[in-house]
Amino acid sequence: MNLLAQVDPKTFWNAPNSSAELYVKLSLALLFGIGLAIGLMFAPPQMRKMVIFTVTFVSGLFYVLFWLFPAPINRQPSDAPRGPIEGLSFWISDSQSVVASLTNVISGFLIGLGIYSLLRVHLGKIAKQQKDWFFSAVLVTCLCLMVFFGYADWKQRLDPQNFILADPKNWGFINYGRDLLFDGLLQNMDAGMFSIVAFYIMSAAYRAFRARSVEATILLVTALIVILSLMGVVELMWGGVMDGISKENDGLKALAES
Amino acid sequence: MAINEPTNATHWSEKLQSVPKPVIFGILLLFSTVPLFFPVQLPNKPIDASIDFYAQAMKIPDGGKIILCSDWTNSTRGESKGEMEALLRILMRKHIKFVLLSIGDVQAPQVAKDTIREVSDEEVAKGGTAYKEFEDFVNLGYYAAAEGTILAINNKVLSVAQGKKDFPVGAGPKDALLSPVFSGIKTVSDFNMFILVTASSTNRTILERITNCPMMYMVTGVMVPENTSYYASGQLKGLCGGVKGVFDLENLMEYGINNPGPHEIESEKYKGESIPGWPGKTNTGKGTAYYFALHFALALLVVAVAIGNLGMFVAKRRSK
Repeated sequence: MNLLAQVDPKTFWNAPNSSAELYVKLSLALLFGIGLAIGLMFAPPQMRKMVIFTVTFVSGLFYVLFWLFPAPINRQPSDAPRGPIEGLSFWISDSQSVVASLTNVISGFLIGLGIYSLLRVHLGKIAKQQKDWFFSAVLVTCLCLMVFFGYADWKQRLDPQNFILADPKNWGFINYGRDLLFDGLLQNMDAGMFSIVAFYIMSAAYRAFRARSVEATILLVTALIVILSLMGVVELMWGGVMDGISKENDGLKALAES
Repeated sequence: MAINEPTNATHWSEKLQSVPKPVIFGILLLFSTVPLFFPVQLPNKPIDASIDFYAQAMKIPDGGKIILCSDWTNSTRGESKGEMEALLRILMRKHIKFVLLSIGDVQAPQVAKDTIREVSDEEVAKGGTAYKEFEDFVNLGYYAAAEGTILAINNKVLSVAQGKKDFPVGAGPKDALLSPVFSGIKTVSDFNMFILVTASSTNRTILERITNCPMMYMVTGVMVPENTSYYASGQLKGLCGGVKGVFDLENLMEYGINNPGPHEIESEKYKGESIPGWPGKTNTGKGTAYYFALHFALALLVVAVAIGNLGMFVAKRRSK
């Protein structure tokens, strides 16, 4: 069972790939979406709250039903539902993967929202020359460079003729640029930044990990035990001690039984 | 309250609490870097979780198929990259095909691909065969909606790969479902194992949703306590944790399990079975390189806590 755009043969909700009918339907859907968004912007706050509440509730209800509604057992591909209850069960089971794809697409929109928010804040800082506006300029420049080189590199690799780009010897300016920005800069700065955390932890361990109360002492001792367990040599020595005690107990037990 | 600035301390207990930050940082730098240049082979007994991980990985039939979820990035490469390299060596030597995906971080797929390329080149240099994208592994990329995706993998694994493209060697992008990795796959139960390499909370996302395929985890050292309970309950068939876990795996890859010899690694659980290693091949990596330095760094952490508290107690007594 398929939903909406996946249904075959084609219905009102879909059209053949790359056809004019498909592009017309996509354009109409886009216009409808924009109209809906503008309509919501001018809607009274109470109505907006109701819309948000309804969308959130229906989205959550799907997964609640998925977990709680009886799932089909031993279902074969040719099986058809034998009633409304089983029909709903089949529909929930079939549509979960479609809903997962939908949430992936919606999550992708969140990246766009994040970029818009970043640009709004930092471009404003640059325009008004507020404190530390230079760092905002660096951020916006790096964002634009990464988007440009990343997208351009991806578009090049999508071309079937460009399979030779798998070998770095065939790289051009765009490919080297992406490699420098991602593998050369971002990855190494990522590693460097988290390595700095080790110094902060050391400083915190020396200055702040103090047994000032009973609870703090228990927490400290527990943390020390966990740290010691990460040291293989300590674990080996402790295991040897435990094995020794265990063997001694076995010996005493055998003696008592004899 | 923490003392942030060195004070004009007179008594040794006050001086003990006010060592300057640059000195602390310098000592840490020395303790964590010098052992890297002068490594010492430390004695080691692999723990049960690591032995189970290795044994279960070796029991996957040659040419089998797994799902590999790689959710780590270079921020945790000290542990996660070592884990990934050890795992990939096992997979490549057994010609196990895998589906690669990520749910934790957008950078993770590229980081994983870079590591796969490095290990493949290493195997080729030692006389093995290269691991080719699309033929031996297929990269499904990053999925932003983690919960829904993992649920879809458990219920309808092929739907997750629908519409995804991968890049075969010497050709343009192709539909991922056409890859030999997906040949014969109908449900997630057709995969031999689901292995997660992670440094974040994706362990819980997967544990709550994958019920139709056995699972094993490779996690960072700080995540070992929270995942040990899942291993102990049997939900995970094996667990490799931190640098210690990687070092265990590297030892196991060298000596195997229950193989007679001077470095025999015994396991009661696998008594009667002899699981081989690959002596003579490249088995050591980041686990062996970092194991000694890790002991120094952790010992320094313990000493720092002890010194700070000692100074505090003595100063308290003096003030009374």
